[in-house]
Amino acid sequence: MDADVRQMTWTELAALCTNLEKACTKQLKEEEARAFASLASFYASKRKAQGDASLDDLLALIEADLSTGYRSANEAANYADDRGAKRALLWGEKATKLLKSLLARYAKQKEALTADTGVFVCEICGFVYVGQQPPEVCPICKVPSFKIHEVKKEAI
Amino acid sequence: MHAARNLRLCTKDCVCLFICPTGATNTETGQIDFDKCLDGCRLCVDACPSGAIYLVSSTYPAPQPKHPSVLETLYSLVRSKAAQEDVAHSVKEGSDDAALRQICTVVETSSRIIAEDLWRESGYIIAQSEATRALLKAMISEHGTMEGFPRTEVEELLSRLS
Ligand code: SF4
Ligand code: SF4
Repeated sequence: MDADVRQMTWTELAALCTNLEKACTKQLKEEEARAFASLASFYASKRKAQGDASLDDLLALIEADLSTGYRSANEAANYADDRGAKRALLWGEKATKLLKSLLARYAKQKEALTADTGVFVCEICGFVYVGQQPPEVCPICKVPSFKIHEVKKEAI
Repeated sequence: MHAARNLRLCTKDCVCLFICPTGATNTETGQIDFDKCLDGCRLCVDACPSGAIYLVSSTYPAPQPKHPSVLETLYSLVRSKAAQEDVAHSVKEGSDDAALRQICTVVETSSRIIAEDLWRESGYIIAQSEATRALLKAMISEHGTMEGFPRTEVEELLSRLS
């Protein structure tokens, strides 16, 4: 079941490394966590920006996940009765729907969408919230709000 | 096995400081001194009135086995989430509109978290596993000679994990 690193993109590898970095942090293994973080930044540094990328491409990928990706994965997880996988799929699919709605709202409202309000992301499940204050408990994964972080506009 | 403190729950003023036979609980960082902590002692864990101390194991069971079709479909989603992060990253790099960049950062961050969770359910839930060791070895053999690859760190990591 070993993943074949030759077929993986740089960002897939980076995400695998940041996942293991977090797992080490939870076990308070700082040196191991740092090594996974270094690997993740190496992989992140390898990727190249694609000049012609657009939000429409993004929306198309998200829609494909919602129409087929999550469905096939849920079928497999149900068949195998894999409750861990079902959990990750439930959270991920909900967060993906919120990303779709964020992009749709941004397409209509542009900068007005976040002009007078904050945007927050849950560090555990990827839940996205546009508003002044994030909810006390994440509606998707139920963690307390200290795990939900604001994404600020950066000055360029 | 060693004790560790949840710093959000600890009140910093009480019984673990009195009961620890080695002074491991009394440190300037607020965290327990793992090197001084006695394997299996747990006196402070049972004594803490705030439930703020827990034990961190040094060995873990192998991750739960995964069905091949689960692995395959989860991996397709990882692939898609990583592609979404890449597109969001590219759009952000190509724009100086602060609001658009903010939306892209949200998509990058959220997609990454979802991808990490999918990896977690694909047999990479902990670093101390056969799958992770095989992964690190494959990374060294495929990418180990590329510029910027943190080779020494990865080799040290592998020896710590075995
Ligand atoms: S006994 Fe518990 S609450 Fe008191 S100082 Fe120790 S860890 Fe903190
Ligand atoms: S488990 Fe025992 S040795 Fe370790 S910190 Fe707690 S009281 Fe001290």
